[in-house]
Amino acid sequence: MCGIAGRIMQGVGAVGRDLVDLMDAQEHRGADSTGFAIYGPPRDVGYVLRGIGFSKMQMDADLADFTNILRDNGSDLLSEPKIVQDANKHYCFRMEIKDPNDLAAWIADADELTDRIEIQSCGRSLEIIKDMGGSAEVADKHGVHDMQGTHGLGHARLATESSVLPNASHPFWARPFSDVAIVHNGQITDYYTWRDKLERRGYRFLTENDSELIAVWVSDQIKAGLSMEQALRKSISSIDGVFTYMIANTEGVGFAKDRFAMKPLVVIDQNGDLAMATEEQAVRRVFSNECDVINHDGPSLTGLWGVNNRSIAA
Amino acid sequence: MSEHIIEVGKRHIKEINEEIQDAAASDKVVRVVNTLSRHNLGIGLPDGCKISFEGSTGYYCGGLNVGATIDIERNAGWACGEGMSKGHITVGGYAGMSCGAAMMGGTIHVKGDAGPRVGVAMKGGNIVVEGKIGYQSGFMSHSGKIIALGGAGESCADALWEGEIWVAGEIESLGVDAHAVEPTAEEVAEVDTILDPLGLVDTSREWRKLVSGQRLWYFESRDASAWLMI
Repeated sequence: MCGIAGRIMQGVGAVGRDLVDLMDAQEHRGADSTGFAIYGPPRDVGYVLRGIGFSKMQMDADLADFTNILRDNGSDLLSEPKIVQDANKHYCFRMEIKDPNDLAAWIADADELTDRIEIQSCGRSLEIIKDMGGSAEVADKHGVHDMQGTHGLGHARLATESSVLPNASHPFWARPFSDVAIVHNGQITDYYTWRDKLERRGYRFLTENDSELIAVWVSDQIKAGLSMEQALRKSISSIDGVFTYMIANTEGVGFAKDRFAMKPLVVIDQNGDLAMATEEQAVRRVFSNECDVINHDGPSLTGLWGVNNRSIAA
Repeated sequence: MSEHIIEVGKRHIKEINEEIQDAAASDKVVRVVNTLSRHNLGIGLPDGCKISFEGSTGYYCGGLNVGATIDIERNAGWACGEGMSKGHITVGGYAGMSCGAAMMGGTIHVKGDAGPRVGVAMKGGNIVVEGKIGYQSGFMSHSGKIIALGGAGESCADALWEGEIWVAGEIESLGVDAHAVEPTAEEVAEVDTILDPLGLVDTSREWRKLVSGQRLWYFESRDASAWLMI
């Protein structure tokens, strides 16, 4: 049992604050860790990175090695990294970088440091913030309340089949596709079959979390020519398990739900001002008036919501 | 009879339910307001209590009801009335998944649609849904009646035991071991006695009654061909 949430604002707004509320209302569904994927105002050039370093003791040396790999790929830091740390052994960082020569090639090089530093998101506007603890704890630590943006996702995790670690928390970035993030409630039963197929095609997975797989699986289908809608629909018949997941890119948010209708999704849509969550009580934290909710309770469902009511091409 | 108004908002559910129980025991009509779809409201309410929830409720509202008359103004979340043994629950809008799960008696009346697995494992009582019942409704129902006036979703009456599902309108598909039969006039009259107090009798309806095909009752694991029905 996990809790997932999404939020689409009308224009740029306090999406961080709303996602914290949505996840706070669902903390009982999983207090192992909480995460947020926030789409800020997009930039035309340059990327924003969010990452985790596993040892504060080696932070300076590890960040220097990471930066050197960045420079070797034609990029550089646009500003000093912002570091967040507490009593835990790990630390988190945010940095803005110039465009590398080849994004996927740079990420492959940077992933050679994955036992020391792990990139948690990379995008023109996407930032994934995730850590151990409940919604308020993670939000306070990382300043999520104050984050502005157009849309985003949230997740409260009850770990079932992989470790309770900050990097095994949701949302997952669809490595190496920029600006794609996923949150998932469920279990994928043919995880290793699909992981093997995707690894043979060159994809790299940094956790054993099945949600990481879905993010890459959908992105790979879109890379192969499917629309987001087609990829979501195909996932229902291709991936085994019980699941409801939401996937986001710069254009908006989509969802898919398995054939067994086990995992709920509730939506309030007020003319493109949207909140989605596992539980109705969560979306009512954002829309406290008695407006209508849409219960996506049935089997084999998909849907797309574009930012500012625009359609999602890919 | 005096009225007792209880505010939900962000108060602790245990505190709210204690207040509801106290009000119910004092022979007052109870109005619960600002419900915000909170979970676990009104659990185990006593016989004779009359209570209304103004707004929508979350999971398990009216669960373990032992005789109360419960009116939910708008939507009810998952498992409304789970395990109830007596009483009456009215849902003004939509009822989420597993409405009436494992209920043993009483009546649940849903004025809108209902989600998947209505009456899953129910052991008695009646569930009347004016709209459509969702995927796999009646799954493993042991007894009682589910009555859907607006059709049924996929895999209806899957693995049914001795419960009955009555459907007026389209059935998207039948579940494993489900069997559709034409009801007799006496059986329809019996269903109308359930619908009559709700003002829902319509003699023009074309009913289908879904019952167990009973093949799963005597399932023999060594007979592999039996699995072919799945």
